[in-house]
Amino acid sequence: MAREVFRYNTRAGRAFDVANVIFLTIVGLVALAPFLFVLVRSFASEAELTARPFFLWPDHFDLSAYTVIFTTPSFTRAVITTVLVTAVGTVIQLLLTVTMAYPLAKRDLPGRNIILSLVVVTLVFSGGMIPTFLIVRNLGLLNTYWALILPLAINPFSLIIVKNFFQNLPAELEESAKVDGASELVVLWRIVLPLSKPILATFALFYAVGIWNDFMSPLLYLNDTSMWTLQMFLQQVTAATDLTTAQQVDPNYIPPSQGIKYAVIVIATIPVLIFYPFLQKHFAKGMLIGAVKG
Amino acid sequence: MTQSRLLKRFIPAAAAVAVAGLALSGCTAHSASKASSSADTLKTLTVQAPFLSAAPPAKDNEIGTRLEKILGVKLDINWVPNSSYEDKTNITLAGSDIPDVMVIQGKDPGFVKNAQAGAFWNLTKYLKDYPNLVTNSPAVQHASSVNGQVYGIYRPRDEMRTAVMLRKDWLDKLGLKVPKTTEDLYNVAKAFTEDDPDGDGKKDTYGIVVPKWPGPIGSNSPWDAIETWFGSGNLWTKQGGKLVPSYTTDNWKKALDFEKKLVSNGYVNPDFATMDSVNWNTPFMDGKGGIIIDTYSRARQINGLLEKSDPQNYQKYVAVTGNLIGPDGTMHALPTAGYSGFLSIPKSSVKTEAQLRQVLAILNKLNSKKAQVLINNGIEGKNFTLVDGKAAAINPPTDESTQLTDTVKSYAQLGIAVNGEKFYDPKQPNAYDQAEYDHEEKMMNADLKHAVFNPAAAYVSDTYVMQGATLDNIIGDARIKYIAGQLDQNGLTAQIQRWRSSGGDTVIKEINALYKADKNK
Amino acid sequence: MSSTLTETSPAVPAPAPVTVRVPSLPPRKRRLWARMLRYRWLYLLLAPGVVYFAIFKYAPMYGAIIAFEDYVPFLGMSGSRWVGLAQFQRFFNDPDFFRLLGNTLILAGLSLVIAFPLTIIMALILNEMRLMVLKRTVQTLIYIPHFLAWTVVASLTYLLFAQGAGPLTHLLNAMLGTHIDFLSDPAWFRPIIVLQDIWKNTGWGTIIFLAALASVDQEQYEAAVIDGAGRFQRVWHVTLPAIRPTIIIMLILQMGQILNTGFEQIYLMTNSLNRQVADVFDTYVYFVGITQGAYSYATAVGLFKAVVGVVLILGANWLSKRFNQDGIF
Repeated sequence: MAREVFRYNTRAGRAFDVANVIFLTIVGLVALAPFLFVLVRSFASEAELTARPFFLWPDHFDLSAYTVIFTTPSFTRAVITTVLVTAVGTVIQLLLTVTMAYPLAKRDLPGRNIILSLVVVTLVFSGGMIPTFLIVRNLGLLNTYWALILPLAINPFSLIIVKNFFQNLPAELEESAKVDGASELVVLWRIVLPLSKPILATFALFYAVGIWNDFMSPLLYLNDTSMWTLQMFLQQVTAATDLTTAQQVDPNYIPPSQGIKYAVIVIATIPVLIFYPFLQKHFAKGMLIGAVKG
Repeated sequence: MTQSRLLKRFIPAAAAVAVAGLALSGCTAHSASKASSSADTLKTLTVQAPFLSAAPPAKDNEIGTRLEKILGVKLDINWVPNSSYEDKTNITLAGSDIPDVMVIQGKDPGFVKNAQAGAFWNLTKYLKDYPNLVTNSPAVQHASSVNGQVYGIYRPRDEMRTAVMLRKDWLDKLGLKVPKTTEDLYNVAKAFTEDDPDGDGKKDTYGIVVPKWPGPIGSNSPWDAIETWFGSGNLWTKQGGKLVPSYTTDNWKKALDFEKKLVSNGYVNPDFATMDSVNWNTPFMDGKGGIIIDTYSRARQINGLLEKSDPQNYQKYVAVTGNLIGPDGTMHALPTAGYSGFLSIPKSSVKTEAQLRQVLAILNKLNSKKAQVLINNGIEGKNFTLVDGKAAAINPPTDESTQLTDTVKSYAQLGIAVNGEKFYDPKQPNAYDQAEYDHEEKMMNADLKHAVFNPAAAYVSDTYVMQGATLDNIIGDARIKYIAGQLDQNGLTAQIQRWRSSGGDTVIKEINALYKADKNK
Repeated sequence: MSSTLTETSPAVPAPAPVTVRVPSLPPRKRRLWARMLRYRWLYLLLAPGVVYFAIFKYAPMYGAIIAFEDYVPFLGMSGSRWVGLAQFQRFFNDPDFFRLLGNTLILAGLSLVIAFPLTIIMALILNEMRLMVLKRTVQTLIYIPHFLAWTVVASLTYLLFAQGAGPLTHLLNAMLGTHIDFLSDPAWFRPIIVLQDIWKNTGWGTIIFLAALASVDQEQYEAAVIDGAGRFQRVWHVTLPAIRPTIIIMLILQMGQILNTGFEQIYLMTNSLNRQVADVFDTYVYFVGITQGAYSYATAVGLFKAVVGVVLILGANWLSKRFNQDGIF
């Protein structure tokens, strides 16, 4: 039925669809290829990696990179830590963002424009690493996981976009709810949030990725290495580990096998890749159907 | 609300918010809060040190516990990942939990500023009271000082590491000998390019492999090595009682012409300006390039890789030699700085001279034979055994020995063996490797006699501190462009002139002033 | 033509305002208090966020003071010497200033003109994909590049464009009949940077637009079809207007970032032969500011960038309002 309504079946329409399929397949492959490159190389031995700069499949399947990584006890702990901090942190950050965005979406809220202006300024101005560090320290948050969550709790960019989204929802929905006697909080909870699933899913993803990829915060605020996150490993292992310059620091330094570098990248990336498809179901079309009519 | 009314309300609002924020969280710019009274004996030594392996040493590891026994104090070491050490050091200095001892990775301008502002103790006159802290290489200590003032106990490194490694199988095939002079080098590079050394009938090989260098000029790149061999000095050189930059000398221009000839004839890899140094070994192992000018460590690394891929025959692939004799018939060997940073003692945590002396006494013990062996070799019987006076790794490695060896790598960062290495040389796993190692040590020591040290190493010019990066880039870029054929003689001269007028001349003046004023040289 | 989503057409009369007895206040103030009282729960919701901004964003701003000092970390902010505008003067008088400005603006401009529209087009194309399986798959795949660190991207670029050995080098030179070394030729620096940017960030950028597209009322489409709209017309008259607010807000916010090219990508692709076009503010600040320990200088440059950013954002916002579109406020 939909096909007839939307007239997809014209000749131009079909041609477009075919072209679209081809185009998107190519795009998908171009996007995937480098990751596959890294993935394949994480299963190769050091000698092979040095000898063959590019291959599609390793000559000898070598799991040594992964075994080395997973037998480092601090590594497994770091993975678990990072997952937990990301999960809790995302919820907190999203909560703070939404609770701040909703009131700011009301154009006639007294004080709204001042607060928004102050937020806009923080988009570009920042006090810098050292003052932020001092504030975190004075709050007693050093060496706690809160230091990984709170200093970056609300991203001004995210706040503004979420606020705009709330602002653009049809006013009828809110009006009709108010007529039925609903208070602001109820409107937020029962009507606005369910309709905002796509945008909430988006920023859940953004915040989660932000925390997951953050290595500055653990570096600055966590002195206790048993609290380390995955990114600390990743940075250390993949940072420019040129033999000559590193050996000026440590003459016995042998850089980690390139395989380990690739393996760490794979391990640090895969969880996030898995997260997104779960959120995709919130991107289904037509969430507003019936909402205006009802 | 219009924009202008917005702005009028904005400023007081912003101020109010900032003040509220400050009030809520308090603010301290900088305060020293170590509550140690001056008369107490030091019970815990806090240290900040970098580590390069993937994971830092575990808490309560055996190396640490034994070290504490030797030093007589508890050790509280904050291990910081090497990749972010710079950032962390600045945060630490700006905060208030400053450790008693900090590893400083280099005499960079940030450190110099802090030191001259009084952040660290000037140790110049204290070290002589501690026998293990008296250096046996005053030249290196001088190089590590800030205009003659010693702000930290330096961490010694091999002074001579420059080496040339070549594909031995190619030399053998073409009937060539290992080069001894720069002219030999040219001929070998030419032969590697034109005479089909791998015998496959194709012209698919070349001579020297050079990557895009990640450091500035004077950081021991292959080009720097060649330029030193030509007699231009080592970043700076003495001419007529004064110090001049080596790139203002005629020998430097001669060296550049040599390099240019190598490149324009195709004896060097064509992507020398862009190749990532991480991939430096690949062309050599791949059979594309036959010569690498770098350090002995790389030679050992390549040997190690070859051993893994061809354990029966790997001995026939690599020939190693030291520095080459320049066109003037003399050997000018390119040394390293001789040190890699130092251990400094911040004044905010170690407040009085009495406390300083306590810390120095502990560091004195750190240089005892027992401590040196512990932090450089490990624990005898658990991760190494003594064979022929050398430390041989335990084979096959156990979980414990691997852990210990890994931990030792990090603790070695604390090594300050300024008055001689008392720990054991590593024993190579087999006879061939041991022979190579000994051969390399011999060459190192021979070359050391002809080392050309940087006479300006100790001096910190204010202008260089401000503009060093830009100035270095002018010369570095000019060199590459000239070699690549994008600049001609006049262009090169113009760039050097540009360096002079952008602040280079001021740097020369300042360095010479410091040189004259330095009584310790 | 504005989207139906931004028009407000109350179907029912607004509820009666709560009357508040506030003695002897002028009528406007009374309305203000009335509104504040009505919205009291909203202020409660707002409070944690405002506190967050006060503590973690505004309180550290005193750190900007080091731009006016000769900051030495050991001496702290109160102990370092005051130099007024000297750092800014040094910056503006640097002979490279205009070259840096030019390089930075050109890269920003290219990104805005090429990468930004591409993101939108990609989102629209994905939206038009009716093969659900392919759509979901590609949606997941295209944001993978976002997670690969710039070092990996740089390595891959070297691999592909290496002089002599790179497959793309061969291909492009064959097509163009030239012998270009793409990695060192200054003329190719910017195209390669933009290409890297597109590859790495387009997929990620589509996520927001896809979220906006998911909120488009399907009834709009149906109405358009009834009016006789073909596929392309539907995209032009329904889809695009529906996400116009999102496009505009993204554009405005992008303005604030115009001088932030990002340091790592540029640094990895810079070499002696292309530095003339490669040097931007961020790499400059890194070399002159951070490696030389000149934090004051680095902060001064950062402040300059921030001021420019704010001016541009407010300017773009004003422009947008002028044309009766959405803005930040």
